[in-house]
Amino acid sequence: MLCLGIESTAHTFGCSVIDSRGKILSDARDVYKAPEGSGIHPREASRHHMEVSPDILRNALKSGNVTMKDIDIVGYSAGPGLGPCLRVGAVIARTVAGFYKKPLVPVNHALGHIELGAMLTGASDPLVLLVSGGHTMTLAFSHGRWRVFGETLDITVGQLLDQFGRALGFASPCGNRIEELASQSAGKYMQLPYIIKGNDVSFSGLLTAAVKLASCNTELADTCYSLQETAFAMLAEAVERALSFTSKKEMMIVGGVAANKRLAQMLDSVCSRQDAKLFVCPIKFAGDNGAQIAWTALREYMATKMNVQVEESTVQQSWRLDTVHVSWRR
Amino acid sequence: MQPLLIKRGAEADIYIVEWNSKKAVSKVRSPKSYRHPDLDAAIRKYRTIHEASFMSAAKSAGVMTPFVYFVDPVKAEIIMEFIEGQNVRDALTPDICYKIGRCAALLHASNIIHGDLTTSNFVMNKRLVLLDFGLSYYSERTEDMATDIRLIKEVFTSAHIAVRKAFPCFVEGYASVVGTKKIDKTLENVRKIEQRGRYARMT
Repeated sequence: MLCLGIESTAHTFGCSVIDSRGKILSDARDVYKAPEGSGIHPREASRHHMEVSPDILRNALKSGNVTMKDIDIVGYSAGPGLGPCLRVGAVIARTVAGFYKKPLVPVNHALGHIELGAMLTGASDPLVLLVSGGHTMTLAFSHGRWRVFGETLDITVGQLLDQFGRALGFASPCGNRIEELASQSAGKYMQLPYIIKGNDVSFSGLLTAAVKLASCNTELADTCYSLQETAFAMLAEAVERALSFTSKKEMMIVGGVAANKRLAQMLDSVCSRQDAKLFVCPIKFAGDNGAQIAWTALREYMATKMNVQVEESTVQQSWRLDTVHVSWRR
Repeated sequence: MQPLLIKRGAEADIYIVEWNSKKAVSKVRSPKSYRHPDLDAAIRKYRTIHEASFMSAAKSAGVMTPFVYFVDPVKAEIIMEFIEGQNVRDALTPDICYKIGRCAALLHASNIIHGDLTTSNFVMNKRLVLLDFGLSYYSERTEDMATDIRLIKEVFTSAHIAVRKAFPCFVEGYASVVGTKKIDKTLENVRKIEQRGRYARMT
């Protein structure tokens, strides 16, 4: 069985074809680039998606050596995300599903991150740290759903890095640039707010303090270093708390920020202390992509035959992962 | 008696030791290699001192906590009374939820915010004993009390989904101390915090 997945929640428009054994036949995508110093403009991003979508879709089919006739189901990211961007993906998905008479399966984008990560890394029952521009959550599976053990109380770690970078005039996404600068620091740590509330974290105060620190004549590399050290130590502590509480023996990190090596290094140390095995989603599939949508749609459809009629298909900008029932996982 | 490691917690290592020929617990916040040494030292020292003082403060508020025998802020070690009993995380019942609610309300009535109100920090002895005050602080803001309540609610819905009516029982216990008017105000604030969450429904 083959599934075409269409992803368009934020800056990435992606299409991918995947088969029922989890083989990714193709993965085409294009990322909207905001001007330096500014973030994603939803309207501009959706315009970008509209412009690239025919080529990306064609590319995904062609590089997978398939035609629409071979595809069995069409999955699309139905939320959470930016409304204008989500609607572009949904329109493309409805069009191909309607025209070629294929079942149409809406997918929760965050669930896609976790399920693709689990498939690629082989983690079976992990504690998950989902870190991206849209999410910062620790989750574990229980009674049919991914349950939230802890999360950010305000902005996500991706937003922290991006908004800090943008304040300095970097181009988003800024995580890479900050990581690079931090690695040039001699390891001079300047104190920044470290906020842990039980299992939850809060980054808004840290953002304000870090931007202020950057503006008062400090070495930029040291500020980036201190920001990373503080933010990631908070995440590492939240993970360690959740690991200790749940006694899980596996830990998986997914989402765009999973590409950061310093974070992975800290979590590795946490996992060896807590006697858990660390799984890091491969960098290529850490960020948003069509494969996460295709794989999740495929699993859902194979387990429950769940699909929606084109006229009843919708998108939801706010759609929490802990409201999604996952029937195929135990 | 050699110190015996019984738990490698998220924050600290827990040892069974002998203190003046009595069985006692040593809680050591050992250095974490993944944190920058300056940040690590600051956190460990701060939390150790806070924990020790709030364990005593909680007693005056009417909540059972272990007796503190000795504090070493440099080593980040607290030696305290050993509490016999079962960890509530592994034995949660609606009745215990009610008692947790009472504990939380007693602390809040004395303006103590626990900061890490989770089921694994309670031990069921003859009475309910509360541990782990490393994140505690004083505040009279409803927002901070609501943060405590939101955390235990999150724990109930993630780790204890099989325990039915856990949160309503907690609320009942809380209300039995402070009255329904106060709890309603705090729950309203809990709802506000939840709505600030990522992708929460605006209802």
